[in-house]
Amino acid sequence: MELTRRGRWGLNLVVALLYLFLLAPIAIVVIAAFNSGEYLRFPPEGFSLRWFQAFFASEPFIDAFIFSLTLALIVTVCATVIGTAASLYIVRHSRRFRSALKLLMISPLPVPAILTGIALLIFLYAIGIGTQSFFNLIIGHTLVTIPYVFLTVSTVLVGFNRSLEEAARSLGAGPWTTFFRITLPILKSGIVSGAVFAFIISFDQFPISLLLAGVGATPLPLQLFDFLRFSFDPTAAAASTISIVMTVIFVLITERLVGLESLYRRGES
Amino acid sequence: METTAHRARSPERAVRAVPGQQAAWLLMLPALLLLGVFFVTPYLYLLYVSFMTHTTGAPYRQEFTFDNYLETVRDPFNWRIIWQTLRFGFVTSLVTLVLSYPLAYHMTRASSRIKGLLMIMLLSPLLVGIVVRSYGWMILLADQGLINQAITGLGLGSVQLMYNETGVMIGLIHIYMPFMVLSLLGSLQAIDPDLERAARSLGAGTWQTLRRVTWPLSLPGVASGTVLVFVLTVSAYVIPSLLGGYRVLTLPLLVVQTVEELFNWPAGSAMAIVFFVITIAIVATYLKLMDRAMRGVA
Repeated sequence: MELTRRGRWGLNLVVALLYLFLLAPIAIVVIAAFNSGEYLRFPPEGFSLRWFQAFFASEPFIDAFIFSLTLALIVTVCATVIGTAASLYIVRHSRRFRSALKLLMISPLPVPAILTGIALLIFLYAIGIGTQSFFNLIIGHTLVTIPYVFLTVSTVLVGFNRSLEEAARSLGAGPWTTFFRITLPILKSGIVSGAVFAFIISFDQFPISLLLAGVGATPLPLQLFDFLRFSFDPTAAAASTISIVMTVIFVLITERLVGLESLYRRGES
Repeated sequence: METTAHRARSPERAVRAVPGQQAAWLLMLPALLLLGVFFVTPYLYLLYVSFMTHTTGAPYRQEFTFDNYLETVRDPFNWRIIWQTLRFGFVTSLVTLVLSYPLAYHMTRASSRIKGLLMIMLLSPLLVGIVVRSYGWMILLADQGLINQAITGLGLGSVQLMYNETGVMIGLIHIYMPFMVLSLLGSLQAIDPDLERAARSLGAGTWQTLRRVTWPLSLPGVASGTVLVFVLTVSAYVIPSLLGGYRVLTLPLLVVQTVEELFNWPAGSAMAIVFFVITIAIVATYLKLMDRAMRGVA
């Protein structure tokens, strides 16, 4: 639509301010991490890595970081395997219960995660494994990441041309060979973006962790949260920056493996 | 019809009768177990516990009662918290709608090269953890924070921007705005540019075209965006606790407190369920109204 020149300038200005609003808090955290002072002043006092040193010297932060990384990797594997398998079954084999199963697979998404956390906490204590924090966190995180894997894999699977598999079979390939040489490579983009979603969501997950974490099982976002309740110390900024870097690395891996469009296309629809 | 289709498929199936065909349901088994045992059952159990009697020393006594619900509904304090939470939901939905509309409108009209960059700027906040983003706002909004430094520098004193409703509002709007933009984009991109061109050539001004053509056609996106943001806002936990500093109570905070600190499972469960039902009722009513409004347009 043709706006007047003044109208277009006005719109551009408003839009620029809105993007600034969206990105400012993230940029500020990174700037604070590299700033030498206790408080972020304007202009910044100077470049320093002391807060990163403080982070690496802090046992609770390092433990939480390693814990989060381990947890996210295990959750990614669980959610990806279970979600992909379920997606294969629902798209290809289910008849009567198809819509019910689909609904079940995505149901952890629309319900508030904090409520799922509470229900899970009460249930786990009732069956006597409430203190098995590591196991419980794996379960809780897998629940909230599985819908993403299911959705990304199903999207690819629905548009999948089965004649390729039939061709492989008629040329004498066994079912396993067909699966690993034909099915899996075609599903790759869906599986990889699902796995990356699962990793990022688990690594940043908060509400479930808040309720299920225990002594010696504190993920990084929870450690950060507890820290921020009492202190503004920029060590938290260093920890945040490191977790932002982790996310960027994983997004770059996705870009390398399947191309970023597969993430965006899903976001747009 | 069903049976012929089935019969037609059978021979082909016989040819391809691989071990995997019969055992296909095994693919579904892990997901079914996981979601059945650790998702559906806990929610049913939550419902069950909400009807049990509270007692000290144990999570609950196995005695059926409506008291938890009656107490939740009777206590005026709970209603104040529920109203406060819903108000955050209403205001956040409305403000994010107003802010996101120009952003989404601008993006649908951007050239495809700029669009990729804009999309990255829009989506990257979603990839950063919610605690990290809250911390960013804490640095900006604190009493000694950057915004207050600027205000003091201008000789205007200082403003309390955090540990109150203002801080919580700003944080909520920031966190949930990308979801609104994405919902609006879907509808706005589907509008045929010819429609707007037609309106213009028939003499409608910019404002009139926007109000009479673009806005009505984008209503489905407006409906889904506002519902999404409302539901996310009323169940938010991190923003109200960090930017509200526990001085601003919302229902999720109250429920977690009741379950974790007061160890009153029945009361916490009842509260959670009452609030869940209220939220669903509001969303359903709203969607019905929107549906009627949209039919009026079409």
